[in-house]
Amino acid sequence: MEIPARQSLPAMKKAPSHQGGQKGDPAFRLLVTATGVGVLVVLGAIIAVMVSGGWKAFSTFGPGFLVSAVWNPVTQHFGAAAPVFGTVISSALALLVAVPLAFGTAFWLTALAPPSAAAVIGMAVQLLAAVPSIIFGMWGFFVVVPVVAHYVQPAARQLLGHVPGLSALVAGAPFGTGLFTAALILAVMITPSITAVMRDVFLSMPTVLRESGYGLGATRWEVMRHVVLPWSRQGVVGGIVLGMGRAMGETMAVTFVIGDSNHIGWSLFAPANTIASLIALEFPESPAGSLKLAALMALGAILMAISFVTLWFSRWLLARGEQAAGR
Amino acid sequence: MSIEVPVKTAGMTQPDTAAPAKEAPHPVAMQVKGLNFYYGTSHALHDISLDFPERSVTGMIGPSGCGKSTLLRVLNRMYDLYPGQRATGEVIFDKQNILNSGVDLNVLRSRIGMVFQKPTPFPMSIYDNIAFGIRLHERVSRSEMDGRVEDALRRVALWPEVQDRLSASATALSGGQQQRLCIARTIAVRPEVILLDEPTSALDPVSTARIEELLDELKTEFTIAIVTHNMQQAARCADQVAFFYMGRLIEVDSTARMFTTPREQQTQDYITGRFG
Repeated sequence: MEIPARQSLPAMKKAPSHQGGQKGDPAFRLLVTATGVGVLVVLGAIIAVMVSGGWKAFSTFGPGFLVSAVWNPVTQHFGAAAPVFGTVISSALALLVAVPLAFGTAFWLTALAPPSAAAVIGMAVQLLAAVPSIIFGMWGFFVVVPVVAHYVQPAARQLLGHVPGLSALVAGAPFGTGLFTAALILAVMITPSITAVMRDVFLSMPTVLRESGYGLGATRWEVMRHVVLPWSRQGVVGGIVLGMGRAMGETMAVTFVIGDSNHIGWSLFAPANTIASLIALEFPESPAGSLKLAALMALGAILMAISFVTLWFSRWLLARGEQAAGR
Repeated sequence: MSIEVPVKTAGMTQPDTAAPAKEAPHPVAMQVKGLNFYYGTSHALHDISLDFPERSVTGMIGPSGCGKSTLLRVLNRMYDLYPGQRATGEVIFDKQNILNSGVDLNVLRSRIGMVFQKPTPFPMSIYDNIAFGIRLHERVSRSEMDGRVEDALRRVALWPEVQDRLSASATALSGGQQQRLCIARTIAVRPEVILLDEPTSALDPVSTARIEELLDELKTEFTIAIVTHNMQQAARCADQVAFFYMGRLIEVDSTARMFTTPREQQTQDYITGRFG
């Protein structure tokens, strides 16, 4: 291919070979504009369907729908509080476990691990992130649930059962299914993806900036804490939000191990429901046009709202952080 | 291409005989003896021996890949961060071979500071960029820290430009200001040696001139080793110059003799621009 000199470019535009390009350009622009606008249309359509589908529940129960913990198909009373509670608590617990684990793994992979080990473990992390959620559900049901029932909850009761104020956290029969188990499975599921994102942002940091930290005599931890983390804050928060989104929306794995109970309580080991697990469990038994189906659609709308609020909140946190750093 | 190299002779005590530079009046701050360096199996530095006289500037020149930056990274054990890189031989600093495995690298690097090719301000405020290094090694009161930060910024002539916006982000400064900030950050830790790896290669001529002036002042207190691609810079700033080629130290001498009467043909060819 010949590269034309700069001055000859205007002339080249008039050349016949570029006619196609002149026509192609607006067509291409139309195409990419359509895909861009398409995103907005699909998003709007989904919101519209969820809200209109759930409208009957919103109008029947009013604001009480959000605060009522009753879910009774017999009396046709439905409230969103229990599954919302289950969703928020299980995701929060999962993040509490997953974020330190992911950070530790990413830190080790990028700053301490010998290269051969980092390559193998890094690969394993990505494979783990690619395991389908139903596998985690089955593993959770056959392995984690019995372990929690036989060992974890009894041990927790021994430890905390007599501590005033904390005993409620471990109360209840040892079913093995419940919030704690769901959170554990979720943590195992989201840790690899958060790790992968964190590792990538840590690695994308310019080497000289890292070396400048070491050059002043900082330890690996000090470089991580004061140089790498502030520099990669945006990516780290992005990774966490990604994990949280996955945890809140996760259906299959949670449905296996959460115990299906619309109940709000203090016990971490009590069976519960998340929005996603409740929808998955009840959807097949909800006839078209029924109030129950409307309630499930309304729950879907609420889940979307929670996700949006979380996303917005994380952006706000980031923006505030940038301001504090004087940017 | 051939270049006229301005040579700085003023202020230097020059014996007329071609005595080696290590007999310069300054005692030796750092002494490299029989150093070999390997990137994995690739042998990057061959049997280097070089003295860095105290409170003077040693310029290191040579074509790309000649090993001058590698040597700099040995002097503060920066290579240690990377598995597979290793050095044999001796680097004597404060009567100790710093290549020994027992050396505390964090302390070593606080005594041997480094400034990089590109300005590397940390993503924090101007004040915190300076305070960061100090906090790593010392516990100082707020008022003392304020003093240390101001002092460091004054010495790189950055204070008048930033005194009203110390809490602003360092990344908002211009390139030249950022590099002076990085030098201030390094000297704030009160090192004995400062290593500069082509510190002006990303800067405009005015900023470069300011950094070079700065080196002249800093050498009254610190031992300076500067890697540069720019021979005029070596001639302007350095007291002694070391020429590297293909991992070997070809020649080291006072700046005046290096640029007027080099002993080696390769040095002659390089400084007159015949290759490199």
